[in-house]
Amino acid sequence: MVANRLREINAIVENIPGVIIVKQFELFDEVTKGYISVFTEGLIKAIEFEVEIYSQYPFKWHDSETIKFINSDLSAYKHIMEDGSICIHTAHSPVLSQKLNYDIQAVISWIEKYYINKDSDHHYEHLIVPQKKFKDTLFAYFFNEIDYQFSKNQFGYLDYSNLSQGLFHKEKCSNAIIQKFYSRDRKELVDVKWNIQFKALEKHVGLFIFIKDIPSINQRWIYAKWEDFVDILPQEFLNFLHFVEDRHKKSNGTHLPLFIGYNISEAEIHWQAIMLEIGKFPIFGQKINQQWTSKLHEERAIDWAMTRNCSYKYFFGRGHLCEKITQSKILIIGIGAIGSIVAKTFARSGCTKLDFVDFDVKEPENVSRSEYSFVSGLNNKTNDLINELFMISPFFEPSQGGYEFSEAFNYFLKSNLTNNQNKSEMEKFINSYDIVIDCTADNDLLYILSQLNMTTSLINVSISNHAKQLVCATEQNRYEFVSTQFNGKVLEFDVEDLYNPTGCWSPTFKASYNDINTLVQFALKHINLKFKQERQLRNFVLETEEEGSFNINLKEF
Amino acid sequence: MDKSKHLESVIRTHQITKEQQLLDKHIQKKNEVKEALEEKYGSNIYPPFNSGSYAKNTAINTKFDFDLVSPFKRNAFGSNGTLEQMYNDVYDFLYDKYKNEAEVKKQKVSIGLEFYADNEGDVIKIDVVPGREFNLDQYKEDENLNLYVYYRYGNFNSGSERIKTNINAQINNIKDRATKEKDSIRKIIRLLKIWKANKGNYPTKSFFLELITIKTFDNNEITGSLWEKLKTVLEYIRDNVTNENFKLIDPGNSSNDLADTLTTYEKQQLSSDMKNMLERISENEENLKTYFPENEKFKEKESVKNGYGANSGIPIPPPKLNFG
Repeated sequence: MVANRLREINAIVENIPGVIIVKQFELFDEVTKGYISVFTEGLIKAIEFEVEIYSQYPFKWHDSETIKFINSDLSAYKHIMEDGSICIHTAHSPVLSQKLNYDIQAVISWIEKYYINKDSDHHYEHLIVPQKKFKDTLFAYFFNEIDYQFSKNQFGYLDYSNLSQGLFHKEKCSNAIIQKFYSRDRKELVDVKWNIQFKALEKHVGLFIFIKDIPSINQRWIYAKWEDFVDILPQEFLNFLHFVEDRHKKSNGTHLPLFIGYNISEAEIHWQAIMLEIGKFPIFGQKINQQWTSKLHEERAIDWAMTRNCSYKYFFGRGHLCEKITQSKILIIGIGAIGSIVAKTFARSGCTKLDFVDFDVKEPENVSRSEYSFVSGLNNKTNDLINELFMISPFFEPSQGGYEFSEAFNYFLKSNLTNNQNKSEMEKFINSYDIVIDCTADNDLLYILSQLNMTTSLINVSISNHAKQLVCATEQNRYEFVSTQFNGKVLEFDVEDLYNPTGCWSPTFKASYNDINTLVQFALKHINLKFKQERQLRNFVLETEEEGSFNINLKEF
Repeated sequence: MDKSKHLESVIRTHQITKEQQLLDKHIQKKNEVKEALEEKYGSNIYPPFNSGSYAKNTAINTKFDFDLVSPFKRNAFGSNGTLEQMYNDVYDFLYDKYKNEAEVKKQKVSIGLEFYADNEGDVIKIDVVPGREFNLDQYKEDENLNLYVYYRYGNFNSGSERIKTNINAQINNIKDRATKEKDSIRKIIRLLKIWKANKGNYPTKSFFLELITIKTFDNNEITGSLWEKLKTVLEYIRDNVTNENFKLIDPGNSSNDLADTLTTYEKQQLSSDMKNMLERISENEENLKTYFPENEKFKEKESVKNGYGANSGIPIPPPKLNFG
């Protein structure tokens, strides 16, 4: 079996054009190893690689290929890993011969692109930072873009706050956020924006220095030892390190992160963190010309921690709703099943200015089909959802909300419709939002809102029993539209089979999280498309069909 | 459901005479504004006249405004006076006179006066349309006027273009056709206006809907019930408005094409709104009520026997049917 595989590998590789086997593939401790040379047009001389093929091959392991082409002389080139192997990702194939052909073709492509043509990629690639524990823990720090221009070699203090303790594979991982930058004499420089819940976390001291240039010799690997920093860190900063360590000597043994800032583009700063231990800073005193001076322990390795840029553009970089929605100030009235799904979808899709109105208290039985968690027990829906969204998005910034605001809103609206002055106050308030989504299915409220002079985009969403239909009213005639759709003569749905928990006077509809969310996401997709295309958003109905396969029909009015 | 019967009720409940008090207030206010303009401009102005739907017999009672055309003499603003000067002069005058009792707004070709609600909550809206005769004293003969375009109006650019038109010819065209074929054209124009009012701020002008209705009648054999006639008009709009060579000639000036008052996108939207409307009504005729609602204020009360829970003895309150 093993012999067959070895034979097969040798035979396949031998037959790939441009490839010569320098040393036959053999098995060493479950790893098949061999040497090949690869030649392609444009090369003066073939390049040799040590090839390692692991037992999973041709399948991947985690996100990596299980074959390595290693040549440590290539480490200065793009896409070369720490061990000198080329970083390749090729198409799936369960057939050994096909996969080997793919992978060697990828090596040839790499040679042409990065070795011969010395191409550079259009996007910036972060430096490779070895991931290692400091004491028994991995440390990760999250930063956000700031509205401040650092000058080269500017240094000082910063505040950071611990967010949570996690597990990174088998290791403990401590997660924290950078909160605020100060000058060396502790004057506030710039605040880092996060949601108010994160801003309220307990602060700890860290240090920073902005070195401007990338801390790497070959633009690939981050500096490994302090000696690499000798010509980079100014003497003043080393003296500052000594001063800080001295000031904190009572806390010997505790860690203190040092953030190294540099430009990765003209406008963008990246921060890398180094873990320092009080009492073991990488400096020592040396007497030069009768004066004590701080010097770096050049031979010491640098303990790099992990950092992540969590600014808005990266946090929502993989996908978001259109800007017309994400930049809007949004009010969601009613955060039951539909409203909480809308709110969470908005928060995950780039919206930040979200306010809620709901006077209801979350019950355990709400959890199964909304965006609430069991753990918070009985809790005002507004408070609960605000907490949920704080945990999701560091950019969520509710301006108004909570139970008392909701009560006042409802009372004010329903008691003052005939008072012209108050009516105009209501209009002013509602129109201060760009988008208002009414998910209450409260037809009194629908009526009242239809009587107001609105400039905002007001969207009413409700659903029929068994989530058979979703009705979305967006136009001036929304009250009449919703009434007509649900009056029993237009939409057909079951009105008998409602959910009646014990002794409840107000039965509710039957539908699962899946039933509701499917329709709400479909509706939001349609709404987003219309906003994106700057088209009129008309009243619409989503009708489901369940005969045979499941279908959703969108009917625009 | 008898669709034509419903449409007749829609028209009946939207009759302007049902809002006599509001109508009277409008007429009175219109006369006041007319007199103020005449007093201010003296011999430089011909008698202002009403050109809106009331003048054309196509008014509805849910959206009420009066258009007051103010024809100026060629030299009213100096022999070299521009249309822009005319427009701004009228705006300044109306603003100074009414700023404390109304919102005075510059609109596409008119100046809008929206009087603050009176004690009874009624809001009166008058649009003043300043126009100027082509040559001195020519208006008396041909009634032609140049209008100033304040801001982009479909394909007419703001400031750069003037709309030449004969408003009296426009009124008479519609009024004549609508009176002669009142069982069809006038009703359909009213229905389209009700549909438009129901849509809120819709870019298509009423005048456009009036002309396109007449054009449909000119180009088609229109027979059958009120619904069938309306349907033919809706289909005509759906199928024609986006055609490249579709034109809607202004009876007041044959070189004005009303199709130019809508942008390409607005025409697409109008066609798609017609398509959606026809599809939804064909799927379920109850949807007709969404597009053409009766004016609840003047709806005749239905007898109890048609109500919810009929024949059960004790009335049953209707249950909640929509959820969040």
